[in-house]
Amino acid sequence: ALWPMLAFALFFSSNLYAQTSVTGTVSGTNGEGLPGVTVLLKGSTNGTTTDVGGNYTLSVPAGQENGTLTFSFIGYTSQEVPLNNRTTVNVTLAEDTKALQEVVVIGYQTVRKQDLTGAVSVINPAAANRVATNSVAESLQGLAPGVTVRNSGAPGQMARIEVRGAASFANTDPLYVIDGMIADANTTINNNDIESIQVLKDASAAAIYGARAANGVVIITTKQGKEGPAKVSLSARYGVQYIPKRYDVMNSSDFAAMQRTQYENSGQTPPASVGSAFNPNINTDWQDEVMRTGNVQDYNLSLSGGSKTGTYLISASYFTNKGVLIGNSFDRGTLRVNTRSTKGRITFGENLVLSNSNTRDIPGTNTTEINPFYNAPQMLPIIPVRDPSYVNATNPTGWGFGRVDAVTYVSNPVAIVDLNPRKFNYAKLVGNAFVDVKIADWLTYRFNTGAEVSFDHYNEIRKLGVWEFNAAPRNSSVDEDRSRYLNLLLENTLNFNKTFGVHSINGVVGVTQQHITRENTSGGRSDLQLYNNQYLTTIGSASGTSVAGGGRPIDYRLFGYLGRIIYSYNDKYLLTLTGRIDQDSRFSEKNRTGFFPSVAAGWRISKENFFNVGWVSDLKLNASYGQLGIVTLNSWDYTAFINNSPRAIFGPNQTPFVGSTQAQVINENLKWEERTVRNIGIDAGFLNNSLVVSLEAYNSLSKDNLLQLSVPGYLGNLRGDPFANAGSIRNKGIEFSATYRNSNRPLKWDVSGNFTTIRNEVESVGFQGEGINYIQSGNTRTQVGRSLGEWYLLQTDGLFQTQEEVNNYVNSAGVRIQPNAKPGDVRYIDQNGDGTINSDDRTFRGSPWPKLQTGAQFNASYKQFSLNLQLVGVFGYKIYNDVRRSLDSYQQTNFRSDINPWSPTNTDTSDPRIALNTEQGIIDNNRGESDRWLENGSYVRMRNVELGYNVPPTFLSRAGIQNARVFISGQNLFTITKYSGLDPDVVGNPDPNNAQVRILQRGVDLGNWPASRVFSLGVQCDF
Amino acid sequence: CEDKLDIVNPNQPTVEVFWKTADDAQKGVNAIYSTLHRGAISRWLPFYYIIRSDEGRSQSPATDIVNNMDQFLITDYNYGAAYDIYRDNYVGIFRANQVIANVPAIQMDETRKQQLIGEAKVLRGLFYFHLATLWGNVPLMLEPSTTADRPTTTPQAQVWAQIEKDLTEAAAALPVQYTNPDDLGRVTKGAAYALLAKAYLQQRKYNEALTPLQWLVTGEGSSIYSLMPNYRDNFLITTENNAESVFEWQFQRNPTENHDDDTDPRADNLNYGTSIAQFFAPPGIGWSDGEAQRWVVHQFLKEPTVTGQRDPRLAATFLYDSTDVRGPQFTQIYGQTFTQRYGTNNQNRVWFRKFLNDHWKNEEGYNSPNNWRYIRYADVLLMYAEALNATGNTTQAYTYVDQVRQRAGLAPLSETQPNLPQDQFLARLKTERLLELAGEGHRWNDLARWGDLGPELAQRDPAFSTFTKGKNELLPIPQQETDINPNLSQNPNY
Repeated sequence: ALWPMLAFALFFSSNLYAQTSVTGTVSGTNGEGLPGVTVLLKGSTNGTTTDVGGNYTLSVPAGQENGTLTFSFIGYTSQEVPLNNRTTVNVTLAEDTKALQEVVVIGYQTVRKQDLTGAVSVINPAAANRVATNSVAESLQGLAPGVTVRNSGAPGQMARIEVRGAASFANTDPLYVIDGMIADANTTINNNDIESIQVLKDASAAAIYGARAANGVVIITTKQGKEGPAKVSLSARYGVQYIPKRYDVMNSSDFAAMQRTQYENSGQTPPASVGSAFNPNINTDWQDEVMRTGNVQDYNLSLSGGSKTGTYLISASYFTNKGVLIGNSFDRGTLRVNTRSTKGRITFGENLVLSNSNTRDIPGTNTTEINPFYNAPQMLPIIPVRDPSYVNATNPTGWGFGRVDAVTYVSNPVAIVDLNPRKFNYAKLVGNAFVDVKIADWLTYRFNTGAEVSFDHYNEIRKLGVWEFNAAPRNSSVDEDRSRYLNLLLENTLNFNKTFGVHSINGVVGVTQQHITRENTSGGRSDLQLYNNQYLTTIGSASGTSVAGGGRPIDYRLFGYLGRIIYSYNDKYLLTLTGRIDQDSRFSEKNRTGFFPSVAAGWRISKENFFNVGWVSDLKLNASYGQLGIVTLNSWDYTAFINNSPRAIFGPNQTPFVGSTQAQVINENLKWEERTVRNIGIDAGFLNNSLVVSLEAYNSLSKDNLLQLSVPGYLGNLRGDPFANAGSIRNKGIEFSATYRNSNRPLKWDVSGNFTTIRNEVESVGFQGEGINYIQSGNTRTQVGRSLGEWYLLQTDGLFQTQEEVNNYVNSAGVRIQPNAKPGDVRYIDQNGDGTINSDDRTFRGSPWPKLQTGAQFNASYKQFSLNLQLVGVFGYKIYNDVRRSLDSYQQTNFRSDINPWSPTNTDTSDPRIALNTEQGIIDNNRGESDRWLENGSYVRMRNVELGYNVPPTFLSRAGIQNARVFISGQNLFTITKYSGLDPDVVGNPDPNNAQVRILQRGVDLGNWPASRVFSLGVQCDF
Repeated sequence: CEDKLDIVNPNQPTVEVFWKTADDAQKGVNAIYSTLHRGAISRWLPFYYIIRSDEGRSQSPATDIVNNMDQFLITDYNYGAAYDIYRDNYVGIFRANQVIANVPAIQMDETRKQQLIGEAKVLRGLFYFHLATLWGNVPLMLEPSTTADRPTTTPQAQVWAQIEKDLTEAAAALPVQYTNPDDLGRVTKGAAYALLAKAYLQQRKYNEALTPLQWLVTGEGSSIYSLMPNYRDNFLITTENNAESVFEWQFQRNPTENHDDDTDPRADNLNYGTSIAQFFAPPGIGWSDGEAQRWVVHQFLKEPTVTGQRDPRLAATFLYDSTDVRGPQFTQIYGQTFTQRYGTNNQNRVWFRKFLNDHWKNEEGYNSPNNWRYIRYADVLLMYAEALNATGNTTQAYTYVDQVRQRAGLAPLSETQPNLPQDQFLARLKTERLLELAGEGHRWNDLARWGDLGPELAQRDPAFSTFTKGKNELLPIPQQETDINPNLSQNPNY
């Protein structure tokens, strides 16, 4: 769609009139010529760039000899110079000192970056946008210290993002604020619309958001029109993506041979499928069957401009991602309209985005049963994808899933895609409108109202067919759910900003209220009708039993009273006081109100008279202390309800009758989780700010963390363990970032890097039972004094090589520790010395928390060329590879190609002997609770390489294009890691129904969707 | 502002506004019945009574099932399926306790009120019966639960006493039969008495057991209950709630089911069938996680009918290579012959058939509508015989064994083995119970009551080689319970 437009523009623009030439040199303040400076005749498309020596020549058409030349260059302040009939114009450009003057949005207020006293990461959206991503969160990986991003990779899925560790057992998501509207920045937001992203990390920065700020606040500001003639911008990107790595598993003949060995080792006759009836014509590569080359396409078109009294920006985008797995895709169209108008003392503005997005996948993608990244490597190569021999009434299309003599309980992943597709559609509007009234020079009143409305539609089809051996057949059916999410915000604030000599005071006070609801209606019907091999898939067309549901699962209100004062003395001493009182309907009346204060101070040492170090251009110390809250409750968790879902069957026709009962016991005294954060920081600039560094250290303690405390079974409790404010977590860390810019030579470059350390420590898990100071979740244990979700496993110690070794493996009392073991079996360490291996022998075997997280970016430009490199490195953490556990259990699964099972003649191996799990020795080898499956997850990844080329203006001007840039990029080109799974960047257990499981089992690889390698080609141009 | 923060939940009533009307009471009682089709009770509970006993075994690839449910190798005191059975029985108790605590204050017809409370007490008795026979010493919860409850362990004998009390009170309040057809499936006076008899019998209180059994066999109950002429009718979906049914758990297939949790808001998708059929069905059809021991088949083959035929109960009880007496070429396994389906595989395997649906379809599913005939009149007759024999009335006991045998086409025991002394009669009765009731969930309790649980059973069920007397009669109290509530004590030798 893009290329015809470009050609069109090129064709129609030319200028054949008489011309004169203007020449000159552009130099920097130190006198050196500046290459690559854009020189443009104002109001025209006529322009050029300077050469290596900073020289330029520009043709000026007749009649424009009194025009104005614009000189612009990244990192320098633009200049406009009237021609006044001159033919030589030399210019000196001054470096832009914006780095210091930069303003930062900190919630209800913007402040000069130099006045900041809290921890705020400012993310360069240009860097974020270089990577093709599904969501804002994903694009932040590696760009800001203290912000941990783990990618899910799946089309239309959010990345997992955490700011400064995990401070809660129930919710670690930051709060998103988009143009002042508190709304989720999920995949419905177009990254290209974003002007700036700020992450508020400490209490001082975030306290203005009070009860919801403890997980950090991500403030997103979208682009606005700028004063000047209309500008049309266009960008397009096309990328292909694929998974660079696969599990290397056996083909059918190798599998058959290995399985024969396995049966023979157990003294059993191999099944016919790998013996007498082995069919060499069936050799299914299940990973090939489910994986494909996907693509990413991203198109943006915007129109912007404005006058002194008003600006506008209209932008449209279309993003589509064909996933690397069959049956998975995402697409999104957005339309944004941002305007500002000023009339006298009053300014009106609005930001509005409409988006429509579609995600297609299969239900249960998050479960190991269904997830192809989990089950495709395991599925047996001797099973056909489809075969007439599988056709029967409940599997009419003949999907293959094994037989009595080819047993696996792995699902056929191709069948699921065909039989059980689902899609989500979100039609969404997010916007806000405001009126600013300038009451006095120093005082502005703002009325801001915002809305986030989402019309969500879920559709799931179940066709007739079976995808798993022995599984129950299901009726065909269709299920749909439509819901409306409504988030309304109303705010009244007063901003003030006054300077008295060396004293400067600014700040904000205000009231805010928010009401959030979700209402849904669902319906469905069994027994789809089939005509000519096509299913009718509407509820109305189905002929069986119908289902209906609906309700208002979310309905809560918040009132907030907020205030902040920033005092500055001579730009040298800075003090910020922030406070917020919040009231929330999700708590009972007595626990409804909370107060969240913070204080911060800064000292700009470099401004002191005594400080006279020439090479230090800026030096500031700051410190803050404050309290933040997290709400992790649903709308009515504080009170007990009657559940009307039970059904009793009575009567001659056995019909269901409604039952009513209190299903869940509750704890009425629920309150906010509270996080107390201490932060100290140093910001420094060196060598005229060509090197800028920032160092922050924090120590935050979360208290009253909501935990679903296990209740005894004798209470007969259902619907989840009731919440109690019982947990406490401390997070400590150091964040460092540095940027060096070299822009004085033709080869300009900058390099920046950051690192983060997080030390996460649980201080309380509430009453879990007598003497129990931990929460067990899967193979993790969250114990007081340790990090959330550390690995708690049996420790292995190689393989037994001889029967003698087995016999001699005894405890101090001479008891044989593994009497069932045979040579070639795994040896476990009897930690408690009781002479037997059981769950009591588990110990802490590692942490899922990286010791160090790093990110680095390198940018260089030379003349028309530019290069961007982004690296991410994560070090010192352990992943539990559950895919390998399944594969290497050897039971009802395909085998890794390179397994080298122990045998009496093959003893130099770490793979245990292969046999059936009909004996205890083999069962013990496969114990899930063992460190056999634990791996080092450290990795370094080349996240992005991008090579860009700025098309010379001389060429563009004839096409009516102001500037144009083409680029190619390679994403995730390589990953250096020892991890044997597909990708060490794991999000952990994705359990959609249990946040605590998601947070505590953060390091398990249950077939995590790996990062794709993406090769993209793109163009950006402005008209 | 303040009142705007009081938002009423439009989805569910609070506990405070409920328990006001007769309809509330009725729905409260319905909820207790709903517990019976929860997954742990309709699926795992039978595993513990059937597969763990000597008539069953497991060859599941899920080794936790084999270890915990078949072989007395308890891998974890919090083992999920066991914990779920424990918890779900208390779910039923919590529901019953709500009715028993709240319904008395409701203004409504007194007879109906007492009937509803009676139903709640029978069901509470049933749930405690499961707890008493599986765990023995458990906390006795008799009031609606709160998070603050920290009860102590109640010894098994006191749990039994509460069961007796509940069932005795309930029997007095419940109708012999319901007049409204919509009440079919609710517990009756007969169900209360039958369960009471079971409770007494299990404690070897034979004299006490006689009273409820007499009501059922020779008293008022005798006009209601009788043996079905065709034994197999007790296991078919077409002949549910028949004359032989004393206490029958009602299941129905919901074609839109996709979950087992009867408190999930998606109530229209609730499975109110049972998934036991999918778990017991032979490979290729179901998971086959639990199956039968071959030795039981041989017991059936020992005695032909009076017409020289094979005992018809064998084919009704098991699927195996010779369910059809002509052998694997003729035996139908869900629409295919045994040979077609398995060739030479699975030749020694035997599957329990009574919960299956092969009589009406060639597939299984998680939503079997086939009711569990939890207490059949045949069981009542054999219980009566056992109690009579134990109380010195062996001659009288013959009558009831004979009735059961004759229905199956066998000669009366009074003819084949007349005048047995008390202990030999009991020994014979054990076989009669096995043949009549195999695969219905009684075997474990029978063995426990007879004192037969022990490693000596390993001859016919090798799993018992790991059975420890004085320990494995009961399951360990889930570790989580004793951890959270130190007032509770663990069962002996765990």
